[in-house]
Amino acid sequence: MAVIARSSRWPWIAIGISLIVSLTMAMTSPADDVQGDLVRIMYVHVPSAWLAYTAFFVTFLGSLVYLVTRNIKADRVAAASAEIGVFFTGLALALGMIWAKPTWGVWWTWDARLTLTAIMFFVYLGYLALRRTTDDPVMRASRASVLGVLGAIQIPIVHFSVVWWRTLHQPPSIIRPDGPSIQDPMMLATLIISVIAFTVVYVALMVKRIELIHLDDERRAAEDSPDRPVAGEAVTVPELGGG
Amino acid sequence: MTAGFWHQVRAVVDRDLLRERRSGDVLWITIPFGALALLLVPLAVGTDAELLREIGVGMYWVIVMLFGVLVAVGKASKETIPQQDASSLLGLDPAAGFIGRTTSSAILLLAFEVVVGVVAVGLYNIDVLGPGWLILTMIIAAIGLALLGTLTASIVNSTSAGTALVPLLVAPLSVPLLLGATQAYDGLRYGHAIVSWVLLMVAVATVVAMIGVLTARPLQES
Amino acid sequence: MSDPRSASTPDEETDPLSGDVAAAPLVVLNGVGVRMGSTQILRDVNLEVGPGEVVGLFGANGAGKTTALRLIATLIRPAQGVGTVLGADLASSDRYDVRRRIGMVGHVPGLFPELTLAENLQYASRVAGVPIDRVPEALGAVGLAGAADRLAGASSHGMQRRTEFARELMIDRSLLLLDEPHSALDRNAVDLVEGLIERKAAEGGAVIVVSHDRDRINAIAHRSVELVGGTLT
Repeated sequence: MAVIARSSRWPWIAIGISLIVSLTMAMTSPADDVQGDLVRIMYVHVPSAWLAYTAFFVTFLGSLVYLVTRNIKADRVAAASAEIGVFFTGLALALGMIWAKPTWGVWWTWDARLTLTAIMFFVYLGYLALRRTTDDPVMRASRASVLGVLGAIQIPIVHFSVVWWRTLHQPPSIIRPDGPSIQDPMMLATLIISVIAFTVVYVALMVKRIELIHLDDERRAAEDSPDRPVAGEAVTVPELGGG
Repeated sequence: MTAGFWHQVRAVVDRDLLRERRSGDVLWITIPFGALALLLVPLAVGTDAELLREIGVGMYWVIVMLFGVLVAVGKASKETIPQQDASSLLGLDPAAGFIGRTTSSAILLLAFEVVVGVVAVGLYNIDVLGPGWLILTMIIAAIGLALLGTLTASIVNSTSAGTALVPLLVAPLSVPLLLGATQAYDGLRYGHAIVSWVLLMVAVATVVAMIGVLTARPLQES
Repeated sequence: MSDPRSASTPDEETDPLSGDVAAAPLVVLNGVGVRMGSTQILRDVNLEVGPGEVVGLFGANGAGKTTALRLIATLIRPAQGVGTVLGADLASSDRYDVRRRIGMVGHVPGLFPELTLAENLQYASRVAGVPIDRVPEALGAVGLAGAADRLAGASSHGMQRRTEFARELMIDRSLLLLDEPHSALDRNAVDLVEGLIERKAAEGGAVIVVSHDRDRINAIAHRSVELVGGTLT
């Protein structure tokens, strides 16, 4: 109970307010002339994609700082950001596909940005898988940091390769991968506010996630008393049963 | 006094190639597996000659990327903890070990590419255009994939997932290599730019090489 | 075989390992602890080993003896405490510079099974910067001259261990760490191992031997320590 009492409530309040504001504006902004109400998906899809890239950039920074300073807090930041980034990447991809089917008639268009986002999703899924399979915290931080730097540095190269590739393979004229440009000021305002609101959500989730990791480390440290038995004490003198 | 850095690299390369020569994992298992994969594709997509010629190069490079990573984590590259300890206590520079393992993997990968490439040309009726450029892209692809495979194998070393995680980590990062290799061939076929795609592959290899060398010691320490 | 316990440690003035008049200890551990993940293996380990010393390390199964050896071999970093081996801080990257002077024969061989016994030693000589012509001599010294071309994977456990001892004969080491050196060895090879230990101590190096064979180790060691509850007594 002491742990729960110590946990700050402001992140949850911030998340709640941000989501309420964002979703209210999304539901009350005008429908699009062409897409109708389907445009409202954009107010979650675009901020999700923005958050995904931001989160992975933070993972890169945290990983780099850890490799240079060996400060475990930097690794905690990197890990928390990667978890959030993977969630929002998946959300962006799913919403994009839901929006694409009625709009373009296909679930997927091989648009350069979409393709890059999908690749990033798998890169950071691998990052989380690596963290999950490494028990030792120092080993986990070192290995994940190298992957965090490697993955991020490769992203611009992957991005250019996919853009060049898409340039050579132009989409059919009926499909416009860039999507509609926003003319209505209310829609534009809704989008900007959504991006800001989701950024607040990201920061709040980061605070909570890092807090959780910190509490978990404190719990482990508390269990690590000088009287805690070492591994070898589990091995005792064998006792053969009476014949 | 230990041996010089490049002497150590050479010792690791010779060691790994000799191990492969004796075990035959790449020659007798991975290469046939890759060739078999090329054989299976037409059974799934149809045997239309024009279709296969169109997709043949792409399928070849996909199989190189997916199966080739198995070379980097094959027996020749795998080391047990006692083997790693023994090498460490011989004074093996971690960066020399990384470069050595990458070099032997790249050589084996190139062999994989050549043999499976011959199979692809035969099964898919692919035109061998611009052999000089083809050889260059094959070499750079082998080096890039070897670098990615060796680095990620070091990253997952001693984790519970082990080398099973390597393909998941390598595949998305090998996209520029895949696109570079396939688009370079399309450039030969349709007159598009080739040099920029080759340079893209070189950029991947260079970045991964730098990260691999710089992190060789921290990864061994962890 | 002379009793090393009756011999004094090498004269300080002729100690090849000491730069100063006072022979610095080769291994110094102060309050060192080792963790693997969340599991504490060693705790508050204090140990000093000087040049010319042979130290026996005993303990029950799972007590952390192999972990202690790998720590001293600089292959593991301490989680607590301060330790130096051959002057290098175990927590710093300096430990890479001294590894070449540390020999270890573990209870699991570190040979490559696809290479022959000779090829394994040739690889070791090339990496360690040792003349490759020492390989046949070393294999002969351990009685494996006739099996040089046998694959390590096809050799018995005892033969692989002899090969590892051959490696340690080939390479100049200041510190030798042996984990269960007598296991899988026949009587002749056991004599070889004890000769190697004596020679290393006489040269001014130090030897730490982990074993369950207390009588045999106590006969050749200057002193012994016991690992109990993760710490040395």
